[in-house]
Amino acid sequence: MKTMDILDFFLRTREAQRALQQARSRLYRVAYAWCHSAALADDLVQETLTKALQKSSQLRDPKARDAWLFTILANCYRDHFRRSRDMDDIDELELSLEATPETESSRAEIVTKVRAAIGRLPQGQRQVVTLVDLEGFSYIEVAQILDVPIGTVMSRLCRARNAMKEILLPEFQNNPEGATAGIRRIK
Amino acid sequence: MSQGKRYSDEFLNAFVDNQLASEEKSRAFVEISQDENLNRQVCELRKMHDLVQHAYRVPPAPPASTNTARGRRRISPRFGVAASVLLLLGIAVGREVRLPISDLQPPLAEVKTTGNAMTAIRGSGATASPASVNVQTAKQPSVLIHVTDNDTSRLNQTLDDIESLLAYYHSAHQEARVEVVLNGRGLGLVRADQSKFARRIAHLQNKYKNLTFAACQNTIDRLKREQGIVVRLLPGVTVIDSGMAEIMRRQDQGWAYLQV
Repeated sequence: MKTMDILDFFLRTREAQRALQQARSRLYRVAYAWCHSAALADDLVQETLTKALQKSSQLRDPKARDAWLFTILANCYRDHFRRSRDMDDIDELELSLEATPETESSRAEIVTKVRAAIGRLPQGQRQVVTLVDLEGFSYIEVAQILDVPIGTVMSRLCRARNAMKEILLPEFQNNPEGATAGIRRIK
Repeated sequence: MSQGKRYSDEFLNAFVDNQLASEEKSRAFVEISQDENLNRQVCELRKMHDLVQHAYRVPPAPPASTNTARGRRRISPRFGVAASVLLLLGIAVGREVRLPISDLQPPLAEVKTTGNAMTAIRGSGATASPASVNVQTAKQPSVLIHVTDNDTSRLNQTLDDIESLLAYYHSAHQEARVEVVLNGRGLGLVRADQSKFARRIAHLQNKYKNLTFAACQNTIDRLKREQGIVVRLLPGVTVIDSGMAEIMRRQDQGWAYLQV
């Protein structure tokens, strides 16, 4: 191996470290959005990265690394629920949250309200909407990550956003300050 | 009855998520910009998208203990380095034996995989039937495009969209007015010392007389005041007092508003 090759190797190793670290925080954010438990999300990310390292030879195209990592995360999540709730269909599973939009309505806390609304979505819809909105994956990528047909992705996304609209829009219509916040941010 | 039901909810979601092919998106732009109900639906979907992003921008930190709820140990920094090397090697090996991407992925059909560009936020154009879009519209189509980002790929996509939009109107024998308002970082698109699209903008200006690029005076003043930069603009770019004020004026006049 020539000197330049060795140098290139270590530069790329450092790059891989940085990519792994960035991937970690992104995986954690989505995992948290799926389960709303920091401890479980952290566990899932650990498991995902461990499996990613074990299966790294399966990654044919480095450009597809993100979708590949999130596919592993989705599998880990599915496995987790298979282990703990053999009889439940996770696509239809809703999170049991103490905080709901109703109980939070007295607090003008947008983040809490939105998370509560997402927590009320069936799991399958929650996964689709968070992969599209948080990670910006295309519909076809989400279909591959969750191993479902693209039509299912589109219908789940559609139902998820309609449900969120029903829950959240009345909140913001009653809150004129929230409605104008976007305009103030432009400048 | 509005023509809102002409587009399914799935189609409008795909429009918001930029999953449509360019030509299809251009057609949708036209009809959405002229239908108040469609505009409202797109606006609401976009709001949901933004709220999800906002809700998880800063998730709670993972538990601080070294053992997680299920007793698995965290990856140590040393293991992380070794793991990175292994991952890199795996990728390198994978490259050697990789298959063509076309063998791994199904055809995209009408769905596009790339990023996002424009989002319809609000518009209040007159409601019109689809047929009137093509032939005889009493009102001249008018679209304000608000650029606030200086990301090269996004700007490139934006110019593609603008060109597609104008080409569509041109092919429908309509003279649409398109005003591109630039403020904040978006001003970079028309700064002579920064823009990577000077030739393309000149070409568009020559080709479409109803296309205007309008730079915000407030942003120009702020750059001078805060960074000592004296902004030089590309030829043909007009200056408006305030980007925000221009948006409000145009919206009052019934222009469709698209933010990039």
